[in-house]
Amino acid sequence: MPLAYFLRTALYEQCSAFSLQLVHNWYEIHPSRLHTGDDTMNTLLPFIVGAIGALAGAALFARSFRGKQRAVVGTAIGAGAGAIGALLLMLPLDFCMFDPERKTADVIFGGILIVVGFALVTLPTRALALRFLLPRPTIMRGESGAGAYRGAVLPWLLLAPTLIVLALFLYYPSLDTFRLSTLLSRLGAPRTAFVCVDNYTRLAVDSDYINSLIITLAMSAAIVVIGLTLSLGIATLAFQPIKGAKIYRTLLIWPYAISPAVAGVIFLLLFNPTGGIINYFLDGVFGFKIGWLNVPAVAPWAVIIASIWKSIGYNVLFYLAGLQNVPNDLLEASAIDGATAWQRFIRIVVPMLSPITFFLVITNMTYAFFDTFGTIDYLTGGGPLSSTTTMMYRIYQVGIQNNDLGKAAAESILLFVIVIGLTALQFRTSERQVTYGA
Amino acid sequence: MLKSKALLLTVLALLLAVVPSFAQEPAEVKVWIAFTDANRLGWAQERAAEFNEMFPQYNVTVEGYANYEELFAATALAAEQNSLPAIVQYFEVATQDARDSGYFKSIQSALGDRTEVDGIPFNLDDFIGPVSAYYTLDGEFTSMPWNTSSAIWFSNQTILDAAGIDTPPTNWAEVDAACTAIMALADAPEFCFTFPNHGWFFEQWLAQQDAEFANNGNGRDARATEVTFASEAGVAVLEWLDAQLAKGNLYYSGAQGGASWETVDQAFSSQQVAMAAYSSSDTGAYTNIGVDNGFEVVASFLPYNDATGWTGNLIGGASLWLVNNLPTEIEDGALAFMAFLANTENAATWHQATGYIAIRQSANEALMGEGWFETNPNFSVAADQLAGSTVTPATSGAILGAFPAIRNVVTAAIDTVLLTDTPAADVLAEAQTEANVILSEYNTLFAPVG
Repeated sequence: MPLAYFLRTALYEQCSAFSLQLVHNWYEIHPSRLHTGDDTMNTLLPFIVGAIGALAGAALFARSFRGKQRAVVGTAIGAGAGAIGALLLMLPLDFCMFDPERKTADVIFGGILIVVGFALVTLPTRALALRFLLPRPTIMRGESGAGAYRGAVLPWLLLAPTLIVLALFLYYPSLDTFRLSTLLSRLGAPRTAFVCVDNYTRLAVDSDYINSLIITLAMSAAIVVIGLTLSLGIATLAFQPIKGAKIYRTLLIWPYAISPAVAGVIFLLLFNPTGGIINYFLDGVFGFKIGWLNVPAVAPWAVIIASIWKSIGYNVLFYLAGLQNVPNDLLEASAIDGATAWQRFIRIVVPMLSPITFFLVITNMTYAFFDTFGTIDYLTGGGPLSSTTTMMYRIYQVGIQNNDLGKAAAESILLFVIVIGLTALQFRTSERQVTYGA
Repeated sequence: MLKSKALLLTVLALLLAVVPSFAQEPAEVKVWIAFTDANRLGWAQERAAEFNEMFPQYNVTVEGYANYEELFAATALAAEQNSLPAIVQYFEVATQDARDSGYFKSIQSALGDRTEVDGIPFNLDDFIGPVSAYYTLDGEFTSMPWNTSSAIWFSNQTILDAAGIDTPPTNWAEVDAACTAIMALADAPEFCFTFPNHGWFFEQWLAQQDAEFANNGNGRDARATEVTFASEAGVAVLEWLDAQLAKGNLYYSGAQGGASWETVDQAFSSQQVAMAAYSSSDTGAYTNIGVDNGFEVVASFLPYNDATGWTGNLIGGASLWLVNNLPTEIEDGALAFMAFLANTENAATWHQATGYIAIRQSANEALMGEGWFETNPNFSVAADQLAGSTVTPATSGAILGAFPAIRNVVTAAIDTVLLTDTPAADVLAEAQTEANVILSEYNTLFAPVG
């Protein structure tokens, strides 16, 4: 109990300090905003948005509860959740994007934030309401099984250390990133300035940012597709029962043990336009050189090659494990039926490996988005002509090199949203094609 | 037996360490610098050891950080936790950031009426002109100069001789002529010359034409509120580089900022270029590159725009800043160490160890007396170039906020001009707009309100 009390007090203090600081920061720089109360529109806005949210929430829940028990209670909860959701992101921002001097892009962004807040609150609430308000079929209750915890205290107590660590070191800092993304802020500055959603909306017209988005998607696609194809090919070869196969397999996994930064340095030496080994070879044998690092059309390929080389060991490792689980009887049966080796590979091996491929697509995509940073930093530094400036590298340039924390925070939140979205999309689209088990 | 004796001794030593000694504890003077190499961090640590021996009342410790940016971040974090050291090294373009941070006080105000601390004289008048000009802000000597360099030109004289060129080119037209001769050689290098795409070189070529980088007297009369580098002079620099690239004379590695230095090292040492713009801080290393690879390296002034003439060059490098609100004995220790580090003898050995300029006139005279410059002519180039410079707001160097970020905008603009067909004037104008946004945002946060 004292611990819970302590935590709640600490949390409360932290939250109030957080909101106080927000309010403080905003009004410090924009004292004029203190007088927005004179403006009828701005005073009414929270009520209007809240009411619309409540109506939408009620409608949503009424639909879900139609023809079921306790529909009235459900609808009422829906109205509450809808109102809270619509205001969730708006109240901390004080509806700043609807101020008269704001641009259309800000208003649209404000609308999106209202919808996002609404979804964030109503969807989980609806799931909970459907679960707890309606009588559950007995078969769903898992408590009767052996090994299940009785009561709610013990499981939560056992989970508490993990949750506390996550909350303190992951969730709280990420909440702070949201706050930071609404500010103009530099490390060491005596003050910050509230800029509403400018850090987000300016990105929509920033050609450099859009460019980095395209580069990130293109490079990630290349790293995932080429990397996985190559890994499957190598794994298939290394899986053949030949002399010394174990040695080959071990050697193939080595690149994975090297850090992305070291990979960057190795490839810097290889790709160097003047003194590099690859160009020395090309010049000696074919009589031409390639500007690996100083031609914008080529440099991304240097990064892609280095990144694929770096991740290939990991992919091969998983494919080798997967190949061992492809049932031999299926292959033999199809061989007897007259299937060629290629047909067996495409029709049996590849589908049997689909769970592993799916897993590798997700991990490789995360790698391509976040972990290519070290390679890029050493190999190209984002250049030439920003042709290797991925979103992640740009965040480093803006936040660390240029010390512009607010803009970097906004960009990192967008990157986070994009990666979450892509992963969710993959789960929805690929899961149907993935076969788990025969 | 031996073991237990050792244990006893250890316990005794620990006890002695814990029991407060009657002798006065030395004042801890912490120094943070942005070097990690033995040549420079090691040199500073050796001087600190000497200093501690001479003045037992102080204990100076020198800690190295990987680069200026990391040191800057560490300083900001230390300030939040009230654990700043006594001395922090800031590079010259972070001067405005250092002033605005409020972490530091000027050397002159710390000195007051004193001309020496603990018997070590400061002799502020003895610093060479461009150095004291850079670090004198609002008429006050603000931070202690230490590593100071200038941009100079290194030539592979062996190749130049083969092309019939006796002395390295001094201006852009001569570079062009020399390149024509060099590239016509039967065994011509791949390119004629290169430069690090680092903002500093653009600033140098701008200053040579007496063009200012920022308004309000290059930020020296009052806080700079706008950058002005997209002038005719700025466009001329980019157009010249672009023309040389188009002719196949200029090698551009594609690397920007800090990463660009080693690409030049590589091209010059592998003799794929005949000439290179570089920092005088590596005069020693560059001279040795020639010795190691069997060619003669000659240093000379950075070639200037012959259409506008040469006014002068500006300095680069870093200075030592004194942290504010230190206890008196620590502040005195910090001042004494700064004065010691920059005394005549140390200024001379620092120059010999690295190639950074000997920042004192007396040190230059001493080196001259030794005949150092006669046997090592390359080492006098940077000092001569600065000594010959006319001190104007342009050649004093710009002081403005967020300069490191603005430098990145400039190098990106150079990158764009060299790699695309967009006219230099358009690219530079756009870069100026972008830099002005950064500067105005910086000033929103840092300029005093009112």
